[in-house]
Amino acid sequence: MSISTRSPSVPADDDLEPPKRRQAYSAREVALASALILPNLVLLIVFTYRPLLDNIRLSFFDWNISSPRATFIGLGNYVEWFAARSTGTIVLNTVVFTAVSVIGSMALGLALAMLLDQKLVGRGAVRSMVFAPYVISGAAIGVAFQFVFDPTFGLVQDLLGRVGVDTPNFYQRPGWALFMVTVTYIWKNVGYAFVIYLAALQGRRAELDEAAEIDGTGPVRTFLRVTLPQLRPTTFFLSVTVLLNSFQVFDIINVMTKGGPLGTGTTTMVYQVYQETFVNARAGYGATVATIMFIVVLIITLLQVRIQDRQD
Amino acid sequence: MASPLTIAAPSAPEVAAPAIGPSRTPRTNGERGLAGKIVGYLGILLTVAVILVPLYFIVITSLKTQPDIYRDPITWWPNPLAPENYSYVGEHVSFGKYFRNSVIITAVLTVVKVTLGVLSAYALSFLRFPGRTLVFFLVIASLMVPNQITIISNYSLVAQWGWRNTFAGIIVPLAGVAFGTFLMRNHFLSLPKEIIEAARMDGAGFGRMLFRVVLPMSWPTLVAFTLITIVNEWNEYLWPFLMSDTDKVAPLPIGLTFLQNNEGLTNWGPVMAGTVLASIPILIVFLVLQKQMIKGLTAGAVKG
Amino acid sequence: MSLSRRSFLTWAGATASVAALGGLSACAGTGGSAAGQEGDGTIKFWSNHPAKSKDVEQKIIDAWNAANPKTPVQLIDGGANYEELAQKFNAALTGGQLPDVIVASDVNWFNFALNGATAPLDDLWTKAGVKPDTYVDTLREDYKLNGKHFAMPYARSTNLMYLDNAIFEKAGLDPKVGPATWQQFAEWAPSIRKANGGKPVLAIPDGSNYLDWYFQGMIWTFGGHYSRDWTATFTDPKSIEAGKFLQDQVKQGNIAVSNDAVNQFATGGASALLESTGSLTGLTASAKTPFTTAYLPGPKPGAATGGAGLSVPAGISEDRKLNAVKFIDFLTNTQNTITFTQATGYMPVRKDAEADPAEKMYLEQHPNATTAIRQLNENTQPQDAARVFVQGGGKRIGAALDRITIGGEDVATVFAQLQDETQKIIDRDIKPKLSN
Repeated sequence: MSISTRSPSVPADDDLEPPKRRQAYSAREVALASALILPNLVLLIVFTYRPLLDNIRLSFFDWNISSPRATFIGLGNYVEWFAARSTGTIVLNTVVFTAVSVIGSMALGLALAMLLDQKLVGRGAVRSMVFAPYVISGAAIGVAFQFVFDPTFGLVQDLLGRVGVDTPNFYQRPGWALFMVTVTYIWKNVGYAFVIYLAALQGRRAELDEAAEIDGTGPVRTFLRVTLPQLRPTTFFLSVTVLLNSFQVFDIINVMTKGGPLGTGTTTMVYQVYQETFVNARAGYGATVATIMFIVVLIITLLQVRIQDRQD
Repeated sequence: MASPLTIAAPSAPEVAAPAIGPSRTPRTNGERGLAGKIVGYLGILLTVAVILVPLYFIVITSLKTQPDIYRDPITWWPNPLAPENYSYVGEHVSFGKYFRNSVIITAVLTVVKVTLGVLSAYALSFLRFPGRTLVFFLVIASLMVPNQITIISNYSLVAQWGWRNTFAGIIVPLAGVAFGTFLMRNHFLSLPKEIIEAARMDGAGFGRMLFRVVLPMSWPTLVAFTLITIVNEWNEYLWPFLMSDTDKVAPLPIGLTFLQNNEGLTNWGPVMAGTVLASIPILIVFLVLQKQMIKGLTAGAVKG
Repeated sequence: MSLSRRSFLTWAGATASVAALGGLSACAGTGGSAAGQEGDGTIKFWSNHPAKSKDVEQKIIDAWNAANPKTPVQLIDGGANYEELAQKFNAALTGGQLPDVIVASDVNWFNFALNGATAPLDDLWTKAGVKPDTYVDTLREDYKLNGKHFAMPYARSTNLMYLDNAIFEKAGLDPKVGPATWQQFAEWAPSIRKANGGKPVLAIPDGSNYLDWYFQGMIWTFGGHYSRDWTATFTDPKSIEAGKFLQDQVKQGNIAVSNDAVNQFATGGASALLESTGSLTGLTASAKTPFTTAYLPGPKPGAATGGAGLSVPAGISEDRKLNAVKFIDFLTNTQNTITFTQATGYMPVRKDAEADPAEKMYLEQHPNATTAIRQLNENTQPQDAARVFVQGGGKRIGAALDRITIGGEDVATVFAQLQDETQKIIDRDIKPKLSN
C-alpha cells in the first residue's frame, strides 16, 4: 500500500519494493498464501468493496432511492453537505461520541479485564455478566435504558431525587442526550474490549509481572512499565476496531432518540447516512455523507497506524 | 522496524525480553495478599452494581405487566409477577423456527469466519507473498464501510442470483472476515519468533505448523474471536431482514420485532422476555468458552 | 445527464464489468420492461402488520385463499415499522423480485408514486370492478397525485385528545367534552393543573415522536398551514401565531412536550394527551385511571389523519396488478375493515361500515373508538404537503417544533429557516417531477 511504503522506515519484506532488493518469493509459499487468503479476499471484494465503489459513484448523483433514474450532479452533493447548517453539529456529535466511547470503553474494559484476570471467587459469573450487555441487541438495550434515564420514572431520576438533585431531561437537552447515548453505548460495548484484553492478559507472559513484583516494584509502576507495554498491540487493535465500531453506531441512537432532540441532537454521520438514504430517500446525498465518512475514518486509521509504528 | 501496517511485528516490545523464553505458566497472582484481594472484591462489587442494575431491569421488566413497567416511582420487584410474558412470546412468534434459523446461520457463519480468519491471518503473518501489505490493508479498511451503504448494492446482486429468502443469500455476503483476520494476525505476530523459526527449521509443513505450533499458543485470542463472531452473527438484523421473507430462513431478531407494536403502544414485558430468551443461549456459550480460554492456555503451554 | 438504475448500479449486476465506470453516459433504459415482472402465481403481500395485526391479517388472507385458490396470498413480514418496509421495498426496486401489495405510510406512498415505483390504480379499479366511492372520501383522496390515486386506505388513524376523567371532574369539567378551541384549552388549563398537583395539563410527543403530526391540527385552527399546494407557508402570520401559542403554552407549563407522552399520561404525569387512535387499545389496558377520548380542539378541521394505505408496485405485470387490486378490495371490504379495525383500533375505511349492525353494536360499547370515526367525518382534512410529501418533511418540522418548545428559540426565526429549507426541496426535488 502506497501510504505505508513511502514511509522512510521501509522494511525489507514490503511488497511494493523492487524484488531485486530481497530474495525472490517462494512459489510454494505464494501458492499456499493465495489458497489461504483468496476465499476471504474475494468475499470482501465482492460484498464490501464493490458496494463501496458503487457508493462512491452514487455520491456524484442525485438519486431518489425509489426512482429508476439518477442524475449526475458532479460535486453538488458535497457542496451541499459542507454548506448545510446541520453539518457542524453532526460532525461534532460524531467526534464527541466516538472519542468518549473509545476512551471510555477501552479504559473500563482494561480495568475489568485486569480485575477479572485475578483469582477471585465467582469471577466466571462476573465475567459473563460483564459480557452480557454485549450479547443483548442494541435495540433492546435502548429500550431498557429508558428505565434508567427517563425523566419521569427512570432510575437516575429516582436516585438523584433521593439526594435532592434535579435530573436533567436526558431526552430533550442535546448535550445530555448525547451523554445518554454515549453512556449506553459504553455500557453495552465494554464487554468487547474486556474480552479482547482478557484474552491478551491470559496469553501474555505473567512472569514479567511477577519478576517486577519480586523486585518490589509497586503495582502502579508495574502496570505502567510492564503490563501496558505488553498490551500495546492489543491496545492498538482495540483503538482501531472500537473506533470503527463506534463510528458506525446506529441501533442505540435509532431506538433511544432517533437522532434528536432538536432534530440533530444525537445525529452522527452514520445516522445521517441512514436518515438521508432510507428516510428522506436521497440516496445520492446519503452516499456522499458515507463517502466523506469513509475518507475521514481512513485518515484516522492511518494516523493510528503511524502512531503505533512510531512507538515501536 | 516493520512497515507501519505490520503491527506488533516480531520486534515489538513484548519480545524485548527474550531471556524469558517460550515457557508459559498459568497466572499465579492469587498470592497478592489480603489487601489486593479486598481491592479486587470491591472492584467486583462496583462492577456488579453498574452492570447488573440495567441487566436486572431488563430481566424484571420481562416479568412485569405493562402498568407495572411504567410506575412512578419505579418498582424494583414485579408486582404482580407476570411470567405469562414468556408464554406470550411462544404464542405470538414461532420462536422454535426463528431459533433454529438463528442457530443455523450463526453456526455456519462462525465456522466459516473463524476458519477464514485464521487462514488469512496465517498467510498474512507467516508467509511472504507479493501484495501482502495491500491485502492486509484491504482487510482493515473493509471495517470502515458501514453496512448501511453496502446493503442496497448487495441486495440487487444477491437477488439476481435468485438467493432471496435462502440461507445462502443471508450467509454468503456476511462471510468475509475482516475483524477476525486483523485480530488473529495481530496475535500471531506477537508469538515468540524463536518457536516459529525452530518449527520451520524442523521442516514443519503448513498443517503441523498451524495445528501443533501456532494454534496451541493462541487459544485465548481464538476463543475471543469466536465469541465475538457468535454474538455479532446472532444479533445480525438488517441484512437477514432484507433477504428473508418468512420464518423459513429469518433469524430470531426479526421474529422478535413482531412483539413490538409499530403504531401505538408496545407492551414491553413480552419484548423483554423475548430479549432474555434470545440472549440466554449466547451467555451459556460464553460461560463454557471463557473456561476454555484458560484450559487451552495450559494445554498450549505443555505442548509449546 | 441521467441514467437508469440498471446502469448506475451496474457493479451490482451480473453484467458487472470495468466498462461500468465509464458507464455514466450509458443511458440504457432497461429498467421496468413494458411487460412487467411475472410472479410465481401467489400474491405477495408485504406488511409490517401495523398495530400488531399479523394474526388478523392472516385470518382475512385465509378467507381469501379459500375463495381464490388460483391466486393465493402469501403474507410476508415486510419490517418492524413503515421505514423498514420502505427500505425493503426500495431494495427490491433495485433488481429483486417485486411484491404485489405493500403497506405504505402517509409519508412513503407519495415518494413511491412520484418516482414511478407504484402504479396508478384508477384504471385497475375499473377493470377489477372496485367502486372507489365506497371508501371514505377523505381517506381515498389522500392518495391522489396528478389526478390519479396511488394507494387504497388500510390502517388509517387520526389523532385524539385523551382526557383523564378523574382530574377533569375534579377541576369541575366534563371529560366527555374536550375544549372546543385551543383558547378554551388555555382558559381551562390553570384549574386542571391545580386539580393534578401542578402537573402539566397536556402531554404531546416531542419532535422525535411526530410532534409535527399533532401540531398540524393546531396550526390549522389558527388559520395557518405548513403549506398550501406546493408553497410552504410557515412564515404566514397565522402559522407563526400558532407556533407562538404552542411555545407559550409550554412555557406556562400547560403543555409538556414529552419523549414518552403516552406513559407520562398513563402514569398520571399529565391530565390529557394527544395521541394516535392506534394507542387506544394499549392505553385502555395500561392507564392508571379511566379516560375519555375527545376531538382535537377546533375550529374545524383541527385534526390530521395518518396511518397507512396499500400500494401496488408499477413494475409487475398487468395480471399481477389486477389480482393485487382485487385482493386489496377484499382486504378492505366492509366486513374485513370492521374485523381489522376492531382488532387494532384503526378507523374503518368504507363508508357503509358504520351502518353494519355488528359494528353499530361494537361502537355503542366502545364510545372511545366512536370518537375517532365521528371526528374523521367532522374534524379532519388531508395533511399538508410540506409534512407528508416533502422528503424528510415530518422530521424537519418536528425538529423546528422541538427548537421553539424545548429549546425556547424565537418562533419567527425558526419558522423562517424552515420555510426556506422546505421550499428549496419542493422546488428542487418535487416540482420537476409533477406533470401539472
